[in-house]
Amino acid sequence: MIPVKDELYDISDLGLTEEELFAPVSHDAFDSEKITAPRYSYWKSVFRVFFRNKVNIVALAILVAIVLFAYIYPHVSHYDPMANILDSESKHLSPKEAIDKFGLNTHSVLGTGAAGQSTFDAVWYGAEISMSLAFICAAINMTIGILLGAVWGFSKKVDMFMTMIYQVIANVPGILVMTVMVMLFTAGFWTMVFAMTVTGWLGLAYFIRTQVLIIRDREYNVASRCLGTPVLRLTMKNILPFMTSVIMLLLAEEIPSYISYEVFLSYIGFSMGTKTISLGRLIEMTQSSMMVPGWRLEFWAPVFLCSLITLVLYLVGQNLGDASDPRTHM
Amino acid sequence: MKKFLLKRIIGGILSIIAVVAIVMILIYSLMNRQLIFQSDPLYLKKLSNDKTQYMYSKWEEYGYLDMVNYSDYMITQLRDGKITQEVFDSTSYPRNGKITSDTTKKYVDEFKKVYTDKGYTIIELEADMMTSGRKLKTGGAAKLFAYRDIPVLKRLGTFFKSLFYSDNIHYVPEEDNIGKRKLTFTLHDPAFTEYDANGNVVSKKFAPAILGNGTKHKYLLYFDDRFPYVHQNFVKLNLGKSYAINAGVDVWETMNIPQGKNKMRMVTYPSGLREESADDLHTATYQKGSLKTNIVYEERYLDDYTNTVTLKQGKSMVGYSFVIGILATILAYVLGLPLGIWMALRKDKLVDKIGTAYNIFILAVPSLAYIFMFKAIGTSVFHLPRVFDMDDPGKLKYILPIISLTLPSVAGLMKWLRRYMVDQMNSDYVKFARSGGLSEGEIFRKHILKNAMIPIIHAIPGSVLGALVGAIITERVYTVPGAGNMLTDAIGRYDNGVIVGLTMFYATLSVVGLLLGDILMAVADPRISFDTKER
Repeated sequence: MIPVKDELYDISDLGLTEEELFAPVSHDAFDSEKITAPRYSYWKSVFRVFFRNKVNIVALAILVAIVLFAYIYPHVSHYDPMANILDSESKHLSPKEAIDKFGLNTHSVLGTGAAGQSTFDAVWYGAEISMSLAFICAAINMTIGILLGAVWGFSKKVDMFMTMIYQVIANVPGILVMTVMVMLFTAGFWTMVFAMTVTGWLGLAYFIRTQVLIIRDREYNVASRCLGTPVLRLTMKNILPFMTSVIMLLLAEEIPSYISYEVFLSYIGFSMGTKTISLGRLIEMTQSSMMVPGWRLEFWAPVFLCSLITLVLYLVGQNLGDASDPRTHM
Repeated sequence: MKKFLLKRIIGGILSIIAVVAIVMILIYSLMNRQLIFQSDPLYLKKLSNDKTQYMYSKWEEYGYLDMVNYSDYMITQLRDGKITQEVFDSTSYPRNGKITSDTTKKYVDEFKKVYTDKGYTIIELEADMMTSGRKLKTGGAAKLFAYRDIPVLKRLGTFFKSLFYSDNIHYVPEEDNIGKRKLTFTLHDPAFTEYDANGNVVSKKFAPAILGNGTKHKYLLYFDDRFPYVHQNFVKLNLGKSYAINAGVDVWETMNIPQGKNKMRMVTYPSGLREESADDLHTATYQKGSLKTNIVYEERYLDDYTNTVTLKQGKSMVGYSFVIGILATILAYVLGLPLGIWMALRKDKLVDKIGTAYNIFILAVPSLAYIFMFKAIGTSVFHLPRVFDMDDPGKLKYILPIISLTLPSVAGLMKWLRRYMVDQMNSDYVKFARSGGLSEGEIFRKHILKNAMIPIIHAIPGSVLGALVGAIITERVYTVPGAGNMLTDAIGRYDNGVIVGLTMFYATLSVVGLLLGDILMAVADPRISFDTKER
């Protein structure tokens, strides 16, 4: 920008001698090789692209609200899934009936279930467990999957061996592995985590392996290797940054898939024990209400919340994954 | 090509064997054996030593171990003529466990020695007395038996050795007197022949059949009016036996046996008796001495081939699953492919956005949730049947399960076809073709679609074979009596035979599906060749 006239300096005011003001600069071979480019910060650009889309802002806001609510509300509501409610008239109430009976508060907005328990409280209690399961399983599987997948893709010897193992284990019915694990230990939250991660990382590792294979022999990596870059640096600086968006996309599919899988397992009868009431178990317990006409909220509330959580998680993850691809930063 | 196929088939067989081995280790070695008694009413009633013995005999039944009772051992000794009846009578194991006679002691020691040498563990249960010390508690009699866990390798060997059972005329034990053992070929199937009161043939039908005497099945080859019209019993697949789900029946048969109400029609029995019945005479198998024990059999049959399967109106488990699965697969391709193409052509337009939103919905929302939504909408808005009633002759009951299976697969097909097509559209050869002056339609048909379809074609055999497996959630939600829930049922009831058999079946389907996919892809795309070229 050209300064306006008032801002122009008068060099005589600076009180410098002629030599100081106009000294010849020698040619610097090193400096002349420098290329100046606009400042680029990777993560800043990621978030700039991500927040450019209004849908993402809404989805992220819903996600944050759900997560906060699911982790705080159950500790405030003091919901006890095992409580024995003796009042026989508080069972299967519609929201209207419940509000008439108990007054308008958070416990009554969704009516009550078969045991007379507040549906709203039950749903959020289940959401906390389901989401914790999904986050923990995703964290374990992604860590093992990415680390082993990278090694799998890099080493040809490991590749031969692991591919053979993968082909066999991929054919063992997943439900069988899960149930045997559940039967080996007593059913519970951590048993479920173990059952979901004991072979769950294999598919992820295979996916990462394929991605690594694709970019391992690209010219810039070959060039790097020719110049003697150590493998660790090669992985950290060349391969992993390239994979950030792939990993984000994978994460976007993984977290909701654990919630869905838990729902599926609970529905077919392999749950985390009778005391851990997750969303899946809640759906399984209330599905008999599908047999009567009408939209029973005790059943549809967990179905809806579960769908909302998975949908929002997927949307945010997917779009964050898209945004973390540097090619979209233009 | 041949070399490649051979390599793939051998690889496939090896991986199937490995899968079966892993499953066997999982269920026989890792799982807690005590669990099978959880819902066993007999177990709760048994007391003291009886309970222990019952547990071992049940474990033997479920295939965990080999068990030999002292008395069984003595019976074999007697049968082999090594001891006389008197010795046998005097050497039974005493109920109070106190061995007084020397002969009994001799045989007990012999029993222990023989089975310890074979690697068995001897279990000797002392008599469980009442506190007064005089009487035995209920079920407290002393027991002596030996058991040995079946090693995984042996189990695996036995499973694969007996995988195919071929029927032969020496199936019936040699000591059974059944007349001349032979195979006969006839042009006129006796099951279709009618007689009058004097035993003269009234009418017969041209239907070639091979009948056996001394074989397990009476009919080894026959024609009838049911799909696939010609049936054989020479070689049968033997996936093991079921214990809990369908006690004593072969796994393969459990999957393929028709269900529902009996289907009655006029049947002419071998004796000439004609009556309305659901017995399918073609399925007769040998049952030792059955003719003389039962007046019903004596009136109808001439030999011991009396064990028949009844005809049912419904389909088998696999039958229902396959009908629903294959229709859903066809519908998915018919809908999914044009929609995917449409989305790719209108990229970033409204159609593409709606399609993408639908894909996200199907991909993110748990399948259970949207299947229930489809069910709620289908039953309340369109008044379709809520549950799948086998005995209902109407076809409406198929609609909701098929839709529930179709809609998710449509999403998958749309997503991938769109992806492949968009990738192809941006490729250099398409730009080149355009600059060469080809019309958009020509580029689309001859270049983009042809290339984008290849990975789709690869998945077709897998999805067709996958229809045989059934769908767990859909079948549960609509109570379809299909094969999808067999595995979960078997796991829930610790039916180890069924678990192993089904795993083997699933693994085989997936291996065959992949192989067929590769072959189909090579046929569709001339660039793909499995020959190793000499350079």
